Amino acid sequence: MTPAEQAFAEQLADGRPGGEPAFVRALREAGRETFLRVMLPTQKHEDWRFTSLAALSARRLGEVAPPPAGALQPELPPPPRLVFWNGHVDVRRTDLSGLPQGVRAGSLAAALRERPGAIEPLLGRLVGARDHAFGALNDALFRDGAFLELGDGTDCERPIHLVFVTTAAEPAAWHPRSLLVVGQGARGTVVESYRGQGLYLVNAVTEVALAEGASLEHDRIQEDDPGAFHMGRVEVAQSAASRWKGQSVALGAALARVEVRVLLRGEEAACDVHGLYVGAGRQVLDHLVHVDHASPRCASREIFKGILDGASRGVFAGRVHVRPGAQKTDASQVSSNLLLSDDAVADSRPQLEILADDVKCSHGGTVGQLGEEQLFYLRSRGIPEALARALLTWAFASEMVERVGPAEVRRRVRDAVRARLPGGELLMEAA
Amino acid sequence: MSRRPGTPMLEIKGLKAEVAGREILHGIDLDLGAGEVHAVMGPNGSGKSTLAGVLAGRETYRVTAGSVAYLGEDLLTLAPEKRAAKGLFLAFQYPVEIPGVGNLYFLRTALNALRRSRGEEELDAMDFLTLAREKMKLVGMDPALAHRSLNEGFSGGEKKRNEVLQMAVLEPRLAILDEIDSGLDIDALRAVADGVNALRGPDRALLVVTHYQRLLDYIRPDRVHVMAGGRIAASGGPELAHELEKKGYGWLQAEPPRAAEARP
Repeated sequence: MTPAEQAFAEQLADGRPGGEPAFVRALREAGRETFLRVMLPTQKHEDWRFTSLAALSARRLGEVAPPPAGALQPELPPPPRLVFWNGHVDVRRTDLSGLPQGVRAGSLAAALRERPGAIEPLLGRLVGARDHAFGALNDALFRDGAFLELGDGTDCERPIHLVFVTTAAEPAAWHPRSLLVVGQGARGTVVESYRGQGLYLVNAVTEVALAEGASLEHDRIQEDDPGAFHMGRVEVAQSAASRWKGQSVALGAALARVEVRVLLRGEEAACDVHGLYVGAGRQVLDHLVHVDHASPRCASREIFKGILDGASRGVFAGRVHVRPGAQKTDASQVSSNLLLSDDAVADSRPQLEILADDVKCSHGGTVGQLGEEQLFYLRSRGIPEALARALLTWAFASEMVERVGPAEVRRRVRDAVRARLPGGELLMEAA
Repeated sequence: MSRRPGTPMLEIKGLKAEVAGREILHGIDLDLGAGEVHAVMGPNGSGKSTLAGVLAGRETYRVTAGSVAYLGEDLLTLAPEKRAAKGLFLAFQYPVEIPGVGNLYFLRTALNALRRSRGEEELDAMDFLTLAREKMKLVGMDPALAHRSLNEGFSGGEKKRNEVLQMAVLEPRLAILDEIDSGLDIDALRAVADGVNALRGPDRALLVVTHYQRLLDYIRPDRVHVMAGGRIAASGGPELAHELEKKGYGWLQAEPPRAAEARP
């Protein structure tokens, strides 16, 4: 056993305090059993071929401690927002003002105590991934996260923010778990953001259930500590004519893997799965997207872009599965990378498994460097080289940033991305 | 008739340049004074565009011999952006498309970079917009192109107008126009020429690179140089362009260089 596996095994043996509903106990027990059986994946595992967990495996990651008073003062998004810090909801920083009628938001742990019946049919049952080490750890060890319900027909214009903060004086891990339920014809926007300080693993799972005709924009902004490990999984189950627009922006952490698993189970459901990652130093930023076309006339659009500097590595694996009978499926996948240094690496791996005959599936992508002719054009107009490079790099990224719907979130993503780009501070505000 | 003030704005002496190990320019001599317009004509492959690229600092070309002085300073050691800061401008034969960079955003960035390098105050967004609108009207550019990505999906004529717009906003002292007329119909050509002519003045100079005499009906040159095989094969007054129009470029190879002949 590696030190990390050893530490997790000890935490699994301790378990979680009793008094939880039977279905949660069963979920935890299955998770414990799975993790102890599969343990942390190595690069022999198909899904981890390009991403080594050696640095994580070598660490004994304890349980996160309650945040000390006067610790990191994170800049918080406007309400409504839920803040989770080192395992638990942070009541003082959470502010749910501005939620419209018919929308409920709060702590998943509290909801499990107060009305488990609303959660039982959904938690751990929407999509799932068999023998998934990190998913299993989350099942077994999660303490809290968000539980969000948008009632049938509600329209929640203001973005609801879920903020996950980690501060770790000693190497530690936690496993936030959230459940988002969007009712029939309801519309909303959710923004998850991750940040922190120290050496830690944040292993988050968010499950999303979209009822018929529901629509959710779901942004995920990862700005964890440069020394941190980030594992994220988003599972989305979509009923007929629902729409999910997900975007993962991966900026922080030493090693980050975000998995998006979408199950298109009702006819004419559609999803956009977008991603932008900006890596430097020795960062590894990895995305795995699995779209399961289980019903006819569904559409999926995947667009991922990476900007890689230093000796960083970007990984994108996109799997599209079209089940027998899922006729008129329309699936596309594009993955493009911009390499800013000779040592940066991009791995891109499309996998299409098509078991229906009347479908439209495409994939494509590029790996390239900044265009010399474009650089010369900008410089010939008096723009200094560093600024010209920043402009072209931003131009590559901006397409993804502009896809973020709500203006305030877009501004925030824009600032966060620019702050990571070489020369980003040279860019002036757009007119 | 051109005046010849004391120091030429641009002095090219014995300039040789190669690309990928192959010499393209075999020794170019050319003087251009303030207030003057010179045309550089010649057949395809004669080295006209290479000359323009070398002057603007295109890094694919390597200068192997000779010198270029601009306002008395060695031009060849300067980075492209420094050349621009000193007032040099190249209108591209093939303007580059840059998706994701807004047309006017780019132009404001360029103008403010130039102003910064000269110790001048930057223009704010409102003042810049006023200036840009005025210049767009001058070059007859469709206002819809203002906020599109730089040259992305522009027609050939729109790209060339955009070059002239940039020139009108950046107000260079020495503008090199590399086949600004290629691919333009007569109306677009006239509009582009009007924009260029509006910039002429006693402190400015133009080097107009073109294949065809037609452009020179609209932008009247003081001198015409004819390039062939990487050399200046002939220099003369505006009448030389008309001579070329009649005789074509074929006779050049047969005659010895006339570069040293007296100015009209």
